Amino acid sequence: MRTAVDLKKFVREAAALLARERDLAAFEVYCSSSEHRVARLNYTSDIPSRGVEEFKSLNADGFALRLVMHRDPHETGSASEAGDLSLEAVRAAIRKARDATVIDPHFPGLPAEPRKLPPSKERAPASDLMRAKDAPIAAAAWATIAGAISAFESHAPLKLPHPGLVIGGDLSLIRDRIAIGSSAFTDIRGDESAHFVSSVTALVESLDAKGTATAAGASLAEMSRAGARLGRDAVTRALKLRHGERPPAGRYRVVLGPQPVAEIINYMVLGSLTTGAFYSATSAYHGRFGAPVIDARLSLTDDPLAHRGPVRRRVTCEGLPTGRTAMIRHGRLVGLLSNFYDSHRLLTDEHRAEKLGPDAGTAPSFPVRSGYRLGESPARRYDAHPGSTGTNVIMRTRGGVGDRELVEVVGDGIYIGRIWYTYPINGQRAGDFTCTVSGDSYLIRNGKIAAPLAPNCFRLNANIEQVFAKPLAVGKRSETAVVWGAPEAYFVPALALEGIELAQVGAADSD
Amino acid sequence: MASSDIFAAVDFLKREGEAALRRFVRTHRGAAYAEMRFEAMFHRSASANDGDQRDSAESEAAAFGVTVHFEHRGGVVGHGQTGAEIGRLALNRTRLLAALDAALGEAYARARFSAREKAAVLKHHGAAARSLMRAGAIAPSTARDEIAATFRRDPRTLDPDELKRLCRDASASIAGLGPDIAFNAVAALSELRQELFINTAGALISQACAFAQGDCYVVAQTADGHQESYDTIGQQRGFECLAEGWRDELMPNPDLPTFAIELARETRELAAAPALKPPAGEVVVVTNPHFNALVAHEIIGHPCEADRALKMEAAYAGRSWFLPSLEHNEIGRPVGSPLLWACSDPTLNGYGHYRYDHEGTAGRRVTHIEGGVFRGFLNSRATAAALGVEPNGSARASEAWHVPLIRMSNTFFMPGQSDPAQIIAEVDRGYYVCGHLIPSIAESRENFRISARRVYDIEHGRLGRLYRAGSVIADSKSFFSKIDAVGNDLRMVAIPNCGKGQPMQVKRMSNGGPTLRSRARMGGG
Repeated sequence: MRTAVDLKKFVREAAALLARERDLAAFEVYCSSSEHRVARLNYTSDIPSRGVEEFKSLNADGFALRLVMHRDPHETGSASEAGDLSLEAVRAAIRKARDATVIDPHFPGLPAEPRKLPPSKERAPASDLMRAKDAPIAAAAWATIAGAISAFESHAPLKLPHPGLVIGGDLSLIRDRIAIGSSAFTDIRGDESAHFVSSVTALVESLDAKGTATAAGASLAEMSRAGARLGRDAVTRALKLRHGERPPAGRYRVVLGPQPVAEIINYMVLGSLTTGAFYSATSAYHGRFGAPVIDARLSLTDDPLAHRGPVRRRVTCEGLPTGRTAMIRHGRLVGLLSNFYDSHRLLTDEHRAEKLGPDAGTAPSFPVRSGYRLGESPARRYDAHPGSTGTNVIMRTRGGVGDRELVEVVGDGIYIGRIWYTYPINGQRAGDFTCTVSGDSYLIRNGKIAAPLAPNCFRLNANIEQVFAKPLAVGKRSETAVVWGAPEAYFVPALALEGIELAQVGAADSD
Repeated sequence: MASSDIFAAVDFLKREGEAALRRFVRTHRGAAYAEMRFEAMFHRSASANDGDQRDSAESEAAAFGVTVHFEHRGGVVGHGQTGAEIGRLALNRTRLLAALDAALGEAYARARFSAREKAAVLKHHGAAARSLMRAGAIAPSTARDEIAATFRRDPRTLDPDELKRLCRDASASIAGLGPDIAFNAVAALSELRQELFINTAGALISQACAFAQGDCYVVAQTADGHQESYDTIGQQRGFECLAEGWRDELMPNPDLPTFAIELARETRELAAAPALKPPAGEVVVVTNPHFNALVAHEIIGHPCEADRALKMEAAYAGRSWFLPSLEHNEIGRPVGSPLLWACSDPTLNGYGHYRYDHEGTAGRRVTHIEGGVFRGFLNSRATAAALGVEPNGSARASEAWHVPLIRMSNTFFMPGQSDPAQIIAEVDRGYYVCGHLIPSIAESRENFRISARRVYDIEHGRLGRLYRAGSVIADSKSFFSKIDAVGNDLRMVAIPNCGKGQPMQVKRMSNGGPTLRSRARMGGG
């Protein structure tokens, strides 16, 4: 990766070059260096496998320019270049950006924050992951495999001729650095972050058993501990869930554990909590800004500076200071994730009153704290446009109860510990979703966890209102949850719910 | 004309790449094999929202991915990869070779670390870890070939203003439909890619392709309801496919403005239609080619990927209902009606066309289902070895810096004999399901719920009322087994965004099928 000093030096020199271009009214230079190191796990007891299937890195360095032309304040163009941080590359990018100009009547100009950022906003993170090499990643990944095999071996009665033990998942280390300068800033701003995410799934196919374990963190020590623990935990959970029951279809009282709650927030809620969604009339909370939208015991915030959050960011990819965004406070929708363009676009929209609704007040504001340029991975990318993305998404509760009480409230029902492939089946605004219950789940009888539920035996069909509007009870503890492919980290509680429709998977095939 | 200098790097590596790889393997103890995938790309795109220009971009990119195999004592093999986007650095031959050498060094170190750790696990766990020693692969490709791109209008010489205008005008015409259109976005791209595959076994394959793609997203709202619709047209051709349309029997498309306005009119009509309130239990469903494209994608294509079948995707996108285990699986067994045939064919002209995959294996037609009987998987060289079959050229990366995964090409249900109109006419009561929207599938793809853009009542052989928010819910084997009519109207559609892998790789391909009739439950909104 390029050093922070190199990135800032490049941005300073590029800005000086751009300042000499007479036809430009304003400009921005954004530069990023990112790396995603992945040790992908694949151990199968009955099928030849490599253990660590892929041990790889993906490196991307580059810069992007945004230009605003003198002849029209709404005429703007952008271009990016990979790899080459030279003034020759800047000249090439200027030519491309000029060719790419469009006249966008809604273009609000470039983000401006004339004050120099205080040093605390750019303090280097303490994460030693920023400097981690391959050896500890290989060691942690193989420790996960070894731990899983050990845990399985230690259950002597389970030594089967074809156990069908499968260990999958990965250990990913994501780190990035940025520098940004613009004609609207008096300083060159920089930021860097590093975190790891590991997700491990253990299957014992001969026992129809599946268990998972996940971890996320921001230090080498946490990563090593995760490697030692996750394989063992996933296998142990899978073995506890062997030979699960397959109850009939029906409407059930359920407890949704932290992973399902995180998955539903990620795929069904967070996308609705952006200024872009309200502008395009696709938010599930269309017309309800300022109004109660979920149970008053629940609050949802995004905090890029959260002490325990693995994703730590101080400066957005628009050069603005990050900060905590309260999205839902005690059930009421009070804030949205936003980038500079979308915030302006919504606030100047002639249909704003209809889109936000009567509770929005006459002068709503949408502070711009979430403009990140991300690609397919959670790392920042030079060639992506600023979107509105969360960082550490935290659901807090008041009046919450412990895990045991949640199960007691349900009485007879299902504890759902993991769901899969959760999608807004009728579009985001409708709030309808469907997914399958893929593991880590139990039957609840007489207020107690009674027996394992077979993985993949239920399809869940519901609407977000059924999940968040009036839960029977809410958990008091927010736990870490990882959602595959999501750039955010989640800290969410379990929820006890009434009347969730569960349809059987495989019912027709067994007719 | 935009600079195309970055493509000269491909010619340079054709001359120098093999020697660089061989030199690396020769000078690094334990290095058993090395390969390089290099890609140069020119990309031009534009977008418009609500009739206003929103964005435009031109970029040239270059990237590579290298793989090294390290053989430890006792035959334990470790694998390491490095991928990097190097962009304009590829213009400088010295820096290009230096970057390649550094990446090989990184991949070698990873392979060595991994081999040592694997050896330690094997020593400690002995027989319990024996499957780690059995992983083999078919010998690397030695193919040498050169394939040119097909286009009439070169993406590199396309006037950027023409692309911007096309998007803006299409978006403006949608906005002009009236206040029921709450939002619209139209985007288009024209792209040229040249890929190079070189390995230390003697393979050297250069293949180029052009892409043209148009995307449209429309949100409509009326007093009665709300509808979000999106769709894509795409061809492995030049910009002519968007500006003029493309007349092809399998995968035709109208020009971008026509495509966009038709989608917008449909979206407006749907916003005024009632949401489907489905009956309990199974009903007759007639599904059209566009809907069946997503069924073919999710329920045939993905579970036919051998890496998924062999549990390598278990933690992410799941397993395969075709292969519960090597001992108990559906190979050679009926999984559907005798009327059901399905295959993947990268040799056809479609969005998933290619000649060689990213392991240097020639792509060929793979029959998945033959008269209702399951026949086989898409594979890589390693998974072909595990399954004891020939490799069929299906390992592909979305970009050169990514690791190849097993991916669909042009994957579809094959056509039957029936007239689609007659298939509907024979139904007393049922639903006609048109256009796909959103899928949700169970972990081995043994069950699905896929939402449709439009659903119509069928009563006494005639189409009736239109509904929005309808979806088909079924167990896969049951749905396939109950197919009692297959149309003669095969069509494929461009799928622009199939995600797989960690980190996610987004790949373009085609899926399709003819009209099908079966039985399933319907979901509503």
